[in-house]
Amino acid sequence: MNEAASPKESEREGPGAKHFIKSALTRFILAAIAWLPVTFGAWYLLGPVLLWPVRLLVQLICRVGLGDLVRGVEAGGSSMAFLTTLKPGEGLGAGFVSVDVNMLVYAFGMPLFAALTIAAREAKWWRTLAIGYAVMVPFVAWGVLADFLKGIALVAPAAVASQAGFSGLQREMIAFAYQFGSLILPAVVPAVLWVLLHRAFLERLRQRAG
Amino acid sequence: MLRFFLLFVVLLAALFGLELTPWVQDWFVVPWTNALARISTWIVTLFDGNVVATGKVMRSNANGFAVSIEAGCNGVEATLVLLAAILAFPAPWTHKAVGLVIGILAVQLLNILRVISLFYLGQWNYEVFEWAHLYVWQALIMLDVLVVWLIWVRRVPRIDDSRGPPSAPPALAPG
Repeated sequence: MNEAASPKESEREGPGAKHFIKSALTRFILAAIAWLPVTFGAWYLLGPVLLWPVRLLVQLICRVGLGDLVRGVEAGGSSMAFLTTLKPGEGLGAGFVSVDVNMLVYAFGMPLFAALTIAAREAKWWRTLAIGYAVMVPFVAWGVLADFLKGIALVAPAAVASQAGFSGLQREMIAFAYQFGSLILPAVVPAVLWVLLHRAFLERLRQRAG
Repeated sequence: MLRFFLLFVVLLAALFGLELTPWVQDWFVVPWTNALARISTWIVTLFDGNVVATGKVMRSNANGFAVSIEAGCNGVEATLVLLAAILAFPAPWTHKAVGLVIGILAVQLLNILRVISLFYLGQWNYEVFEWAHLYVWQALIMLDVLVVWLIWVRRVPRIDDSRGPPSAPPALAPG
């Protein structure tokens, strides 16, 4: 983490400092917007690679905690197919129910975090990127798992949902976990992470503004 | 920083939980979402008279294409994030009030642009619409919230200015 501006730096700032400072924030915002298409493109192309740890984590959780519901997890690019032990119901044919989840829906915070981090131009930004990525992986896994659970507990026909055996309270918890994991976490986690990992940058902005 | 972070998380979880209650949905979220559809439609009719709003749905009479403004696209969650971030940050209440009014306006104005742009992107190319809807606009709205918060934080006076030499405020102190 970089240190905040030293007193000597502050002394060097002349009458034009305020203008420079204001434009420093503007420059950061413009740089972040400029980097977004680049980071989004890279994120989309590298999606299967970037989301590989998410898939591993989800597979591990399914094996440990959802073994009775999930027979296996198959990957297809940036999507995951959950192969369940649930039957589609009478008159709907043989086989088992599978649920597809688009992992990118829960991972759009990765390119946002990358654009913000590169735009801040702090030292060792690549290390910050790596830390941010590692921290975001479990939150993306949260969204993917909650999406799957919503699929079998709340969206599936009653004949399928009843086989899952979730209680009323569990269904409420799944609904909340899905809403929180889709509406709040994907967007908030990268922003909060960026703030936490750029305290010195923010402090410099504040000191210069004050 | 720890205090700000914990307070932000608690406030956000509480506000989001409150948002999901039937009472808040019925009395605030649904009316606001319907109003958003009407406002967006009104703006669009300034240059395209073939658009109507029904509830939370914007529909083109020319080709039948319609968008339904659902949770996550009505700007409510983004507003809650900004609300939690401003309330959790140590600042005088007057500054918080001003920041909230201007900040919420900024978030909602960009959200109207999101709704209108998605309405036309969907008529042009569904793949591009999906990309913009699921990924790009989500990130842009959060970027808007972060930028509004950063601008507000820069203008907030340090609450510890009178207690000693200039130092990092608790919320931003390098740790």
